[in-house]
Amino acid sequence: MIFKIIRFDVARYVRSISTYIYFLVLAAIAFLLMVTAGGAFQGASVSMGGGGKVLVNSPFTLTAFISILSYYGLLIVSAIAGKAAFRDFENQTHSFFFTAPIGKAAYLGGRFLASMLILAAIFAGIAMGLALGTAMPFVDHTLFGPNHLRAYIQPYLVFVIPNLLVTGSLFFSMAALTRKILPVYMTSVILLIGYLIAASLSNKIEEKFIAALLDPFGTIAMARVTEYWTVSEKNTRLIAMEGVLLWNRLLWAGAAGALMVFTYFKFQLVYALEGRHAPRKKAAVEPAAAFIDKTLPAARTFSTGANLRAMLRLTRLGFRETVKNIYFAVIVLAGVLFMIAVARTTGALYGTPTWPVAYQMIELVGGSFALFVLIVITFYSGELVWRDRDARAHELVDTLPLPGWVLFLSKLAALCLVQVVLMGVVMATGMGIQLAKGYKHLEPALYLKDLFGLKLIDYWLLCVLAITVQTLVNNKYMGHFVMVLYYLASTFMGQLGLEHNLYTYDGSPGYTYSDMNGYGHFLPPVFWFDGYWAAFAILLALAAHLFQVRGLATGWRWRRTLARRRFGGPQRWIALGALAAVAALGGFIFHNTNVLNTYRTRKQREMLQARYEKEYRKYRNAPQPRITAVRIRVDLHPERRSVKITGSYDIANKTSQPVDRVLVSLPENFRERDLQFTPAAKLQSDERAMDVAVYRFDQPLAPGATAKLNFSLAYAPHGFSNNQAPTFVVYNGSFLNSGVLPHFGYQDDAELAEDNTRRKYGLAPKERMADLNDVAARRNTYISSDADWVAFDAVVSTSPDQIAIAPGELVRQWTDGGRRFFEYKSRGKILDFSSVLSARYSVLRDRWQDVALGVYYHPGHEYNIEKMMKGMRAALAYCTANFSPYQNKTLRIMEFPRYAVFAQSFPASIPYSEAIGFIARVDPKSDEDIDYPFYVTAHEVAHQWWAHQVIGANVQGSTLMSESLAQYTALMVMKHEVGPDQMRRFLKYEMDRYLTGRSLERKKELPLERVENQPYIHYNKASVIFYALQDYAGEDNVNRALHDYLQAVAFQEPPYTNSVELIDRLRKIVPPAYSYIVHDMFETITLYENRALSATYRRTSDGKFEVKLKVAAKKIRAGELGEEKEVPLADWIDIGVLDKDGKPLYMVKHKIERNETEFTIPVDRLPVKAGIDPWNKLVDRKPDDNVIAVAKL
Amino acid sequence: MTQGLRIQNLSKRYGNGVQALRDVSLNIGSGMFGLLGPNGAGKSTLMRILATLQEADSGSVLLDEIDVLREHDRVRRVLGYLPQEFGLYPKVTALEMLDHFADLKGVSNGSRRKALVEALLRQTNLWDARHQRLGTYSGGMKQRFGIAQALIGDPKLIIVDEPTAGLDPEERVRFHNLLSEIGEQVVVILSTHIVSDVSDLCQSMAIINLGRVLVEGNPLELARSLRGRIWQKLISRAELAAHKESFSVLSSRLLSGKTLVRVYGDAAPAAGFELVEPDLEDLYFRHVSQAGGVPNGAASGAAA
Repeated sequence: MIFKIIRFDVARYVRSISTYIYFLVLAAIAFLLMVTAGGAFQGASVSMGGGGKVLVNSPFTLTAFISILSYYGLLIVSAIAGKAAFRDFENQTHSFFFTAPIGKAAYLGGRFLASMLILAAIFAGIAMGLALGTAMPFVDHTLFGPNHLRAYIQPYLVFVIPNLLVTGSLFFSMAALTRKILPVYMTSVILLIGYLIAASLSNKIEEKFIAALLDPFGTIAMARVTEYWTVSEKNTRLIAMEGVLLWNRLLWAGAAGALMVFTYFKFQLVYALEGRHAPRKKAAVEPAAAFIDKTLPAARTFSTGANLRAMLRLTRLGFRETVKNIYFAVIVLAGVLFMIAVARTTGALYGTPTWPVAYQMIELVGGSFALFVLIVITFYSGELVWRDRDARAHELVDTLPLPGWVLFLSKLAALCLVQVVLMGVVMATGMGIQLAKGYKHLEPALYLKDLFGLKLIDYWLLCVLAITVQTLVNNKYMGHFVMVLYYLASTFMGQLGLEHNLYTYDGSPGYTYSDMNGYGHFLPPVFWFDGYWAAFAILLALAAHLFQVRGLATGWRWRRTLARRRFGGPQRWIALGALAAVAALGGFIFHNTNVLNTYRTRKQREMLQARYEKEYRKYRNAPQPRITAVRIRVDLHPERRSVKITGSYDIANKTSQPVDRVLVSLPENFRERDLQFTPAAKLQSDERAMDVAVYRFDQPLAPGATAKLNFSLAYAPHGFSNNQAPTFVVYNGSFLNSGVLPHFGYQDDAELAEDNTRRKYGLAPKERMADLNDVAARRNTYISSDADWVAFDAVVSTSPDQIAIAPGELVRQWTDGGRRFFEYKSRGKILDFSSVLSARYSVLRDRWQDVALGVYYHPGHEYNIEKMMKGMRAALAYCTANFSPYQNKTLRIMEFPRYAVFAQSFPASIPYSEAIGFIARVDPKSDEDIDYPFYVTAHEVAHQWWAHQVIGANVQGSTLMSESLAQYTALMVMKHEVGPDQMRRFLKYEMDRYLTGRSLERKKELPLERVENQPYIHYNKASVIFYALQDYAGEDNVNRALHDYLQAVAFQEPPYTNSVELIDRLRKIVPPAYSYIVHDMFETITLYENRALSATYRRTSDGKFEVKLKVAAKKIRAGELGEEKEVPLADWIDIGVLDKDGKPLYMVKHKIERNETEFTIPVDRLPVKAGIDPWNKLVDRKPDDNVIAVAKL
Repeated sequence: MTQGLRIQNLSKRYGNGVQALRDVSLNIGSGMFGLLGPNGAGKSTLMRILATLQEADSGSVLLDEIDVLREHDRVRRVLGYLPQEFGLYPKVTALEMLDHFADLKGVSNGSRRKALVEALLRQTNLWDARHQRLGTYSGGMKQRFGIAQALIGDPKLIIVDEPTAGLDPEERVRFHNLLSEIGEQVVVILSTHIVSDVSDLCQSMAIINLGRVLVEGNPLELARSLRGRIWQKLISRAELAAHKESFSVLSSRLLSGKTLVRVYGDAAPAAGFELVEPDLEDLYFRHVSQAGGVPNGAASGAAA
């Protein structure tokens, strides 16, 4: 029987056109994705977790593509599986089936299995589309490896089919039990939330396992299983059901099975569910009808006023019906819960949260809550457009004496009102979260402005689109699908090279709110674009109004006829007006973005980069002058967002050849520029699009000769551009660095970096950095290619209410002509690396010995300034005690707006983003919260030594001497401050980031010795390595080596030092027994697979304990792409036994020489845990299994 | 006072090839007009075209000076329409719903509207059930509510599409009473496949089948035109087939275990036939079966 039902149903699906549409749409998207990822479109790229050296058809990438696309296919699953159970109720055919001799199991099972079969067939379209894409002749075949059938099938076995069963059974059960289709949609929303909440949990390192279990789709579990996979693993390994992924699949398969069983028992083969509206007949005898009262000629009015009233009434009704319904409440509640979940970790760094400032709460709307708004808009646009037809009241409503616009606009208005409610909900939730976290600075005006002034416009534009789509498509489900396609398209348009906001619906340059600078200058262009799109939306709405179906005729011929008829006087005027507005605003915007400013697509930018390389690379080895002194005067006009820089360079020819031509880099957006060389040089060519000009000396500059360059540069904004305007000079919080000044010589950084991109433009693959022994490259520091150590003098002027800061010591300040002036001068020579900041600052001052300390902060951001001050003092003390004296008499931290998120060390001054640390909320009582304002400060202060005294050459490994040593210093400062316990938590994050970072490597992983400015190596790996190094060799010994090294190379002239010189120093202080570690730590990529196998204890006769511990160990060397090779063990590794508080009862390094080793360890107190390398000092891809609970024997 | 509705050469063909209306021309004056025809005859298509819900391929319809096919907005202002099938928002009460419709139909004065809604609910005998949710209404109550909303605003053209289908006999009588109260001054078009609806209520009528108007006129006169040609005989069931072979059988129904057949003929078709007074049903079957469009089952169903 069940087979007959399946056969019947499958035959029905096979005949249905929608089956093919679903299949083709999935296949088409997959195909597009694959050919785009495969480099078919110049300037377009897609990568999902892959990229770089990960092949586009590798098992890993295929799994990512297939599982993500099948996730978008959830809508199809709900439509088909939900409908499979709902169809008989919808068509009122359930009586026939229930009265036929079919068992419940056969009926439900047959329906369900048939829907699963057809879904599997539909989803197979993804793999076919992808496979077809790989075979296209126009893709870049170097990005592909051979196709393996298993790589396509495995994702189906692990993800797609289990997910179909899980989600399908949910949808099916919902429809079968409630006999309604709405709960099915709700279920998909809830699934989505489960996924999102799980994903937000995974921000915290301790919650990753739970997150991976909770996600019904298994993608988080997959991310967990593969998070540390290297490139070579991604290219070769199939994702297998293992670890948390297996548990996840089992859990959800079990849940689905249980649900189906539940459904089987609960499902009733009855006509109507009990308690539902069985028509209640009134028994009362009704009197005979009275005569129709003809004295009641209703006074009717058909004026515009009456129409407006009717519209209001319909709007109110539509709005009420939407908002009052339980499903809406569910979606909103879900959104609120999600907001709360996400708010927990918003802005958190190292697991330490920030204060819930208003802009963060508001940004949740643009981020996490936006999804729920999109769901509401997509879903309820369909409900509103179809409301009368769904209630079968459309014949009554459509014959009402109301003009069509009343019916149409009332639906649109109702949907728009719903958005107002949503914004209100967000505002209430946001404030609730703030209050719940004990934060009182609510800023209601900011909420109102942002939510009801800015976000609402976007959502209203989306409402118009959704209602228009639903009206034109005139099929609710197709309408939903079209909207999903729209969202997809709008996500990928940018990647496909369609970047202009003039043709991206609802596009605008966007804005970033900052506490320091408010909305800054971002809003006017946003409003211009909003106006443009609003005019366009009026056209959309008009089209929808003209073509809306009223009555029963739905053919396009008739709709066209009707549209022509409806296109009367007012409609013509509106169309004309809106068209004129679109043209005028569009023209105005185009004038701003493409005439006053330069608009370039990514492809055009790449072409320029390629041209730069092809035309100017010849200057790379040509002799160029070097800067020896910098004097600048920077006149900032924050209120006008303009800046004028005049200055002069002392330059010298330090080469042995005459300098004839000088290649000068100048930023394109400084339009006024004037350069005068003395002795004279003439401008030969000026290519602003590539930021270069070439000057030729009248008399070539002889070796050893000096010269001077006077320059004057000015920047002022001109209208607005397609992207957010530059933020280096803003109303409050300007931050510009020496990159805007003229520089000499060929800029390696300006070349295209990605090999895949380079190939598209006919450029050979390129090394990221020069070899560490490259003699020529060692003539430069990695900071600049046209200067060694320079004298620096800057006069900065700004508006009278702002303080301006540049590197060096403040030598004088004065007021002139209503403007404030500051002069800064370097003590001694500094790297040619400077910055200028200006803002309305409050200042916290202090002293450390004879050094003046200052934190320049935005009033209101007082939270952590004391910690920063403490960080400065502690780091100064540590560095001066261990390395060398501080070279300046001042040290300051300056806050700048969150347009960039970093802190950076310039001589004597440290610009520090407001998003990093200033609003961090370090709970003083928590021993978990990492005090990162303190730590980041210590790191930046350490750069005054490790960068500003010792600077590496422009070769591999040089960030080891800046970033890694600053990181080591900060770790030591922090260790002395908080103790080793909290350090372990910090290092856990560092280990995790290193392992994740190497799995996302795009080119090649290198050992620390050869690190090529790779943050995951020079920060995160270095933290782990140096912490272990000082554990093995002793902190004092390490510091002694660093001290000696610094003495040898500080402030040196070229050639500059390289990592080999540092490592040689370190090698000397490592005890002979451990000498292998230097090679492991710095010269190779070495990983361990350490694991505790078993641990038992017994009480000994003297009342003490004896622990028997068995551990496994393995040592691995990895290649550039993560290819692994086991190497023999002869390593000293911690063997430890811990008590119930995690305190060590025993912690001794043992020499491990076999893969499995057993220990018998006597301890004094009750052992709880034991293992190998319990504190994860060594790099280990599974740090969690190093310890094990000690069982009583 | 309206001059009535003039339908000329109206044709409509659906996308699937079904010719729903062929060249239909009708003149419908004020008063109750019955449109009789079997299922699928094209009645509902005609009704919907008149109610502005469907387009016609060709032809014209004038209501007084209003061009019904083009001036939808004007038609809707004078239209009262009870669709063949309709739903109502189940969670709304009758009072709220009717008030809503009255407002949307332009009765904007609050107190007037209140009075109108009350009057309509009383006239349709729904006053006592006015606070009940529409979802709990029985079929008859729903139809009466439908009439109440159709009567809002003093319509000049009332279209009632198959209103009695599915009603029990008691409700049908009540509904007929209600319809009969609607004024003589307006055009009321009642479409139905039930002959007695027409004979009970209408002064004029038309029979329509397969999209064509077969006959129109006064029901009594039309029936009378068959006088002297309708014959009846009680036969056994076994004889029915033979009778159908030999005679022009209009209808047959069971009577005390035997079959009563009515036959059309200028003279007594055979022995045993008696001449009877024709009724509207005879006329209906005469035309519908002549046109050859109606299966027997449907005919006897309708005659039952």
